[in-house]
Amino acid sequence: MEGAIFSQAIREYFRPRRFLPWVFLAVICMVIAMQWKSLQVDADSAESYTKVSSIFVFHILALASAIFTTAIISQEVEQKTIVYLLTRPVPRWKLLLIRYVASVIVVSTVGILCTVLSSVGAYHGWGSNPLLLKDCIALIVGAFAYGALFLVVSLMFNRAMIICLLFAFGWETAVPNMPGQMYLVSIYSYLQGIAEHPSAGANKLLSLLTASNGDNVLSASTSYMAMTGFVAVLLGLASWWFTNFEYLPREDAE
Amino acid sequence: MMVSATNVSRWYGQVIGLNDITCEIGPGITALLGMNGAGKTTLIRLITGQLRPTTGDLKVFGEAPFANANVYRRLGYCPEIDNFYEHYTGREFVKFLARLDGLSADQAKKRTEEVLELVGMSDRAGRKIAGYSKGMRQRIKLAQAMLHDPDMILLDEPLNGLDPVGRRELIDILGSLANQGKAILVSSHILFEVEQMTRSLLLLHRGRLLATGDLGVIRSLIDKHPHQIRIETDDPRKAAALLAPLPNVVSMRFDRSGDAIQLEVREPDSFYDALSLAVLEQGLSIRGFSSPDNNLESVFKYLVEA
Repeated sequence: MEGAIFSQAIREYFRPRRFLPWVFLAVICMVIAMQWKSLQVDADSAESYTKVSSIFVFHILALASAIFTTAIISQEVEQKTIVYLLTRPVPRWKLLLIRYVASVIVVSTVGILCTVLSSVGAYHGWGSNPLLLKDCIALIVGAFAYGALFLVVSLMFNRAMIICLLFAFGWETAVPNMPGQMYLVSIYSYLQGIAEHPSAGANKLLSLLTASNGDNVLSASTSYMAMTGFVAVLLGLASWWFTNFEYLPREDAE
Repeated sequence: MMVSATNVSRWYGQVIGLNDITCEIGPGITALLGMNGAGKTTLIRLITGQLRPTTGDLKVFGEAPFANANVYRRLGYCPEIDNFYEHYTGREFVKFLARLDGLSADQAKKRTEEVLELVGMSDRAGRKIAGYSKGMRQRIKLAQAMLHDPDMILLDEPLNGLDPVGRRELIDILGSLANQGKAILVSSHILFEVEQMTRSLLLLHRGRLLATGDLGVIRSLIDKHPHQIRIETDDPRKAAALLAPLPNVVSMRFDRSGDAIQLEVREPDSFYDALSLAVLEQGLSIRGFSSPDNNLESVFKYLVEA
């Protein structure tokens, strides 16, 4: 039963029509990484990769998470197929968490594909990139964290996608750049703590774009612990909420 | 009883969907009737645990149905909505739901073929659902409702979109399931066809339960509208003379055709006894008789108008 739910969700998320746009975005990341030196003449391969990763890949991750995570339940509600899932002898929390894991896998795949192709573009081949492994781990953690947050939002609000996109591109860009302790309420800050990207240097515009203008001093271990707790709490909340509240096909619910 | 509702009400904000419903549903086919907005779908959603009652107590197989896996193991549901995973084939869709019902991969495959055969979709189940006609979609919905051989099946407007042959087949399938002791609750507004399925009714109107039970019993309890009986005879005057004095005859008139009389009677069973005596003892010759308002449509009309 669990395997069927998981494989159905994976099949749904990896449908070519749905997944190919993300492959296209990953290729664009690679092209930008290849051309970065023409934008910033003093940048070496490592710096080109870091900038593309911070500015594009981590935001693509948040975008992918917003789109795939809201599909877990919201899309089923909107296309009215939720009724087939909720009238089966599957505990709701199990249905939710299995589909969440499937969405994390596809979002992680998108993130890793983007970062690997960015590395290939920046290093002009499969050269050794010391940041690649940490970035991949940070992206997987990010897929879990963004996924858990967007899952809760999608269960609680009707127009969840708008909220998730505002968070991904507004909050996650602005808050880490704020002074003081504000960076603590941004997932991106913790992901940067795990990825341990070098500073953007004196270039103010690049600092803003890479969201490294704040006072972020999070260590990798702190970031791991914070993200683990964050994901656990939100998944618990999502499971409780989904088990106890009514979900009907969209037009009937309104 | 498989379903037991006690003073169940369901509100949608300021709007009431179901108002103080008390009823029981047991084995056999029960028709859930009512006009649009009467509360049929709300009641089905309460029984299938998609909604919770705002007040009152609802039990399905002795348990509260909301998000209850124990209930879903014994419940099949054919929803009214016409939505699917369009890129799936009918077979893939049904098999996926069979796995969700807890069947192993082999069992799911076997059972999928069985139910597809039962609903007449075996030869077309390999095509994508996006290309299905309304009738084919309806059959796939029916197939998924019967997958796990449930004790109770709820069908929300199952006759919609089916051609006459398909409707006849469905009625036969439901009759066969009912004969196996299963409870079948059919929501429909096609009264003529519902009448061919069952005489056991739940009649809703504006969220209230207007009547429940056997159609004949319900009809006999509607005192406001005397039963109409048409008697075809070679000698209408003699028939009128014999029947007019009966105490339960309310009115009588001659048919325009000249070979029949139409009566309005109360307590029709007593009247039929008296009619039998008139035939046997007084030599009244009758060619046939009918009761034009002893049907679901008339009962529905009388109750709703009341």
